[in-house]
Amino acid sequence: MIIKNDLESIHFESFKKGDQGAFAYFYDCYFKKIQAFSISFIYDKEEAENVTQEAFLHLWENRDTIESINGITSFLYTYTKSKCLNIIRHNKVKDRFKDDILNQKEKELDTEILNSISFDTLEISELEHLINGSISNLPPKTREVFIKKRFEQKKNVEIAEEMQVTLKAVEAHMTKALKLLRNSLSDYLTLILLFIYNN
Amino acid sequence: MISDLIYKYLSNEATEQEVQRLFEWIEASEENKKYFINAKKTWALASLSKTTTSDAAPVIKIQRKRNFISCFKYAAVFLVFAGLAKLAFDFNEKTKLSKEIVLELGNGQSEYFVENNETQLLNANGDLVAKKFPNQIIYFGKVNDDKIVYNTLKVPYGKRFKLTLSDGTIVNINSGSTLRYPEQFGIKGKRTVYLTGEAFFEVAKDKEHPFIVNANQVDIKVLGTKFNVSAYPENPTVNSTLVEGSIQMFETKNESNAIILKPDQMATWHNNSKTITTKVIDTGFYTAWIQGELAFKDTPFSTIAKIIQRTYDVEIINENSDLARQNFTGTIKISESSVENILELLKRDTPFNYSINKNTIRITNLP
Repeated sequence: MIIKNDLESIHFESFKKGDQGAFAYFYDCYFKKIQAFSISFIYDKEEAENVTQEAFLHLWENRDTIESINGITSFLYTYTKSKCLNIIRHNKVKDRFKDDILNQKEKELDTEILNSISFDTLEISELEHLINGSISNLPPKTREVFIKKRFEQKKNVEIAEEMQVTLKAVEAHMTKALKLLRNSLSDYLTLILLFIYNN
Repeated sequence: MISDLIYKYLSNEATEQEVQRLFEWIEASEENKKYFINAKKTWALASLSKTTTSDAAPVIKIQRKRNFISCFKYAAVFLVFAGLAKLAFDFNEKTKLSKEIVLELGNGQSEYFVENNETQLLNANGDLVAKKFPNQIIYFGKVNDDKIVYNTLKVPYGKRFKLTLSDGTIVNINSGSTLRYPEQFGIKGKRTVYLTGEAFFEVAKDKEHPFIVNANQVDIKVLGTKFNVSAYPENPTVNSTLVEGSIQMFETKNESNAIILKPDQMATWHNNSKTITTKVIDTGFYTAWIQGELAFKDTPFSTIAKIIQRTYDVEIINENSDLARQNFTGTIKISESSVENILELLKRDTPFNYSINKNTIRITNLP
């Protein structure tokens, strides 16, 4: 008997039946991910936390409509994406730069990027697979730096101190991580762009 | 370089001037813009990753109730559920009362690891020898060989602990294990520690001072390497699994009864026949516990039950003979699974009934 995937499906069945323990399991699995995703577009940790909580509240209320485990990811990301777009559209993102032109440009770019990402159920499971694969293929140190940066929102200085390496080394690891990830996602990224241009 | 700048921007560490420069570059061509969009998309989508934490060794708890607290502590919106939140989970009451990690010092004093702050450990002369954290202790310094003082660390069922010895060697200690080691290693001589239970050693390289783990009736001698030792008193064997470097295992009383191990091999000492055998293994299965995972590969239920007992500090009484004969393969993340989850999982393959009373689980046949 193979144990691994079954654990998730047991939780999923209980979640569908309204079991809060199972809901808490998915909450713990996805909270950091959704928060990390929304921070990339609204740049505020607390606001991102609010958005994430709202997404989970909606997930719980709409649990009847979710058909598979991937459906949970798809639901959470789709909700968060449109919430982020709304926040940008209504100018509720805090201005980050003194120069207002920069603020404006950033919002335009972010809107374009968000609109180009689709989170439908099939696509997301492939994407998840691809990303898991490419992150676990990163060299160990590079992966550690990347995770600290991406999910623990740590500053370079903090990471350098924790891992006892120089600031330069942290920066080098990050640049390398991003380059490697971008390469392994390149097929996927071009495909999506084509898809958008054709529409 | 532009990729450095993009990364700096993505990780929110670029200055306004740098952002200005980046945006100018983006606008310079469609090609540049596409490059940037792909980079930011990669950054945003990387959040889908399975791994979201770099923590190596959290202390194990039965997680179900805690999950709830961490889930609800964030927001008032979830108070909606409060009326429904009546999840009985007996184990949790039990773990509260369970034994703590105990450090026995050379002078017979005992220290506990309950407070949340950092404390300092001084020797008889008042010198700083270690810093004590809730989940970790780090030792410093060296002494003359005749002044060596031994400390003993006892990790109960349901807990794990990380120790940095005074030579820089890192030891991850698994549930239900005891390690006896010099508070500070001697300037000359060997570095000897004594283990009952399971631990993973990352030995600091020092050719002058061989590192020796004494477990049961064998010694494992190394110069600098990574390896796992499993020597629980209920097993008639001592297993040592080598991840990196090389080690030698020999019978303490008969040093010629020895074997040298290469990476990805496991040496097994057999108490009854007093022999040492080796085989090639996947070290991942023997070191998964350090990452907080239980890994099984065609593992009989009897072994799994022992591991669950140690990891979750519960007692399992199995009266189901079908289950006793069954083997299982797979990996379980301890922090995400309760004992109940695991039992439900096993039940799918081999149906059985179980009842939980305090921390005792009784597994029976279906009626």
